[in-house]
Amino acid sequence: MKNGKELRPRDMGDMSEQLIELTVADLKPLPAPFDKPEMEPGFKAPKAEWNEKYNSELDGFIAIDTFERPKTKEEEDELVQKFLRGVEKMLSLDTNGGIMQVLNLTMEYCAKCNTCSGACHIFEASNGNELYRPTYRAEVLRMIVKKYFDKNGKLIPGGKKGVMVKFVGGDIDLNWETVARLGELSYRCNLCRRCAQTCPLALDNGLIAREIRKIFSQEMGYAPKPLHEKGTQLQLKTGSSTGMSKVPFLDTVEFLDEDATDLFGEGVTEYKTPMDVEGADILLIHNAGEFNAWPENPMAFTMLFQEAGLSWTLSSDICGYDNVNYGLWYDDAQCKKVAVKQNEVAKKLGVKRIVIAECGHAHKAAAIMADRYYPGSDRVPVQSFLPLMRDLVLSGTFQIDPNRNDFPVVLHDPCNYVRQMGIVKPQRDILKAIMKPGHYGNMGLPYYEMKDHGVNNYCCGGGSGFAIMQSMSFPQWRNNIAHRKKLEQILEAFGPEVMENTDIPKYICAPCSNCKGAMRDIIEHYGLHRYNVHYGGLVELIVNAMTKYSSPYMEFLRDE
Amino acid sequence: MIILTILCWVALIAFIGLSVKKFMDYGKLPQHGRQDLYPIPLESDEKFRYGGSYMEEDKWYEKERQHNLKRELIDMFEEMLFIKKLFIHQNKFWWLSYSLHLGMYAAIAWSVLCLIGAFVPAGVFSTIIIVLTTLAGIVAGVLMTVGAIGLLCKRLFVREFKSYTTPQEYFNLVILLATSAFGLLNWLGDMTFGFGRNIAHAMFTFQSLEVFYPEGVPAVLVLFILCLAFISVYIPLTKLSHYVGKYYTFHKVIWDNAPNMPGSKIEANIIAASQKPKDPNALKWSAPHENGPVEAEMPVQK
Repeated sequence: MKNGKELRPRDMGDMSEQLIELTVADLKPLPAPFDKPEMEPGFKAPKAEWNEKYNSELDGFIAIDTFERPKTKEEEDELVQKFLRGVEKMLSLDTNGGIMQVLNLTMEYCAKCNTCSGACHIFEASNGNELYRPTYRAEVLRMIVKKYFDKNGKLIPGGKKGVMVKFVGGDIDLNWETVARLGELSYRCNLCRRCAQTCPLALDNGLIAREIRKIFSQEMGYAPKPLHEKGTQLQLKTGSSTGMSKVPFLDTVEFLDEDATDLFGEGVTEYKTPMDVEGADILLIHNAGEFNAWPENPMAFTMLFQEAGLSWTLSSDICGYDNVNYGLWYDDAQCKKVAVKQNEVAKKLGVKRIVIAECGHAHKAAAIMADRYYPGSDRVPVQSFLPLMRDLVLSGTFQIDPNRNDFPVVLHDPCNYVRQMGIVKPQRDILKAIMKPGHYGNMGLPYYEMKDHGVNNYCCGGGSGFAIMQSMSFPQWRNNIAHRKKLEQILEAFGPEVMENTDIPKYICAPCSNCKGAMRDIIEHYGLHRYNVHYGGLVELIVNAMTKYSSPYMEFLRDE
Repeated sequence: MIILTILCWVALIAFIGLSVKKFMDYGKLPQHGRQDLYPIPLESDEKFRYGGSYMEEDKWYEKERQHNLKRELIDMFEEMLFIKKLFIHQNKFWWLSYSLHLGMYAAIAWSVLCLIGAFVPAGVFSTIIIVLTTLAGIVAGVLMTVGAIGLLCKRLFVREFKSYTTPQEYFNLVILLATSAFGLLNWLGDMTFGFGRNIAHAMFTFQSLEVFYPEGVPAVLVLFILCLAFISVYIPLTKLSHYVGKYYTFHKVIWDNAPNMPGSKIEANIIAASQKPKDPNALKWSAPHENGPVEAEMPVQK
């Protein structure tokens, strides 16, 4: 095993069993109350059989749960060859033209100034472990390209020889360990693009991580099950990555409508989610995971949209009731298939626009990634729920009493629609209008901003699929490393006085399904429920502030 | 030694030609998917301040989008002239990097001043030009030398830089250092940089440099010219040509947030790309789900 602080890119092919080992003592210390060693749960030891069967050669953790260690020399060689064919396709206009300009720029121009490293929460959480430096994986790929490919991106069997290839930086010998580790390492990045935001040359080393994921999925046929088999494939087959098909979906919505009516209808209002209404103004698409994990979120949308008298509908068509698109994280073809289906559903219904509910990656997939998949004339316009909701709240559509939201709320910014779509202010305008002023909050606001917020936010640690990847030992890595910065931000935002006062319920407002998944994991792993910490979306807070309802909307307030 | 004059011309033409070619090569690549990264200076000043976009508006697609040319130009020049992002995000590194870059900008100014100085008749104006040339030359030589030595030391002795630096990247700094060092050495024997004006004059009258050096062109000047010619050809062929790349990475990648609206140029590009005849021999990704039916499975090990 190598010392993570001294690791070099060429060590990637080292034949030792595991490249580095992580312990809690190596990680960046956390603020109070987690500044005492016994407060951190730390890493659980992985099962020995996992390491025997799968590839834990990188850091002992396994993200690609479909990739088994090769058993023979032939299998090892075949793996290397498949990978090289994948790199060739990554470099070809035939197969990767849609990203070639961006990719070529990043491959050619990185000055290795390490500015990106200072922006990366994973590198920071690891206390500067070289393996997690954003340039590390990118540099390994650059070395492979320099050694094995000509200037036109054509594969040179056996690679280039001689002094010149070493001179330009192609000093690497590719073996199966390098390939396997590189694949794993592509799943040690949240694809949050904070690194690209700070790069003086505007290069994107996060893009390299995604390109490696693409090679593994699109060429070699390896992707984490939660993303592919139980993600995009399941969504394309059943309609949702949750596996929920049309009938259970309709049953669930009906049940939630009944719940909303019983709990908040006050005997006068019946809440009814419009379904498959042709010609409606809005097709609202939720992350279908909400219906199972956080049903109060879609329920709040129904209550708010109905109270506002909007022309809207949900769809029960395949892919029409689940806005997720995991292809965004690992596979262009899958991303396009899902996005095309969602657009077709909207066209079939004849709606005027698609409104994406509280799901960050779905915002980016539908509004940004899919934007140039097909001609603009064939696209149903896509927008975020946030500006619509902001306008409704600020126009006085709902009777709001901010005093009903008299508890500390910290706002988390989802990377996908904040840094990568520039939707920053609407959620803040809403919070200013619905939170009790002058009691809790910082910076003169009625809520807490994290130290780095808005477009400078840090990822929750669940981005790029990590929030749903629960296989084997991967959650151990995610909870201890990827989530670490977000935990630090939450603790610092509330401050020890509020945080450690267990009588005060605290709320992490994360208007994104994946981010909520991350918050759930942070709370569970670090035991934040001891401190009366809760989490949820934004629309729940709006409903909670509405004077129309006699009881609080949030369960943790009702219990009190 | 007309050969030196010819070499200077070859180097100048190669620098411009190769840079233009590189610019055009990048420009010919297909339209890519959106890579918006905020703040984007094309947005209104108010939105730019906090990183907002047109997508903060309800029914954004029905509203007219702003193109804030003033802010775009300000941000572009701040980045070009001051390397603003590096200053903000890695201030310690900026001092060395900016020294090298500012030295190179001064070297470009020095070259232009040498050209002017070579042809203006003696008088007040030529005196001003000579003074400016001297200042620009000293600034260029000193800052480039300091920057190149500093960056070399950083890459040689600081672990996190050393581990990632290739032999070619050391060479890039060494050749820049050699050029500035030879420039300074020539200046020690020619305190107003007359040699620069001599080179410019020889080039634009297509004469041998020996017109100015009847006893032979000094070896240290020959070495300076060789270094200068080499880097002029070498820079556009390497990552040192990031002055080309930076245009694309900012304007065409992270700042390009133009939506694909009906009737837009973006839509026209998409339609044109979709109408291109398919090459039957084109490469294809191999995983079954890439080419087969929607539900095709990966050959995953279960």
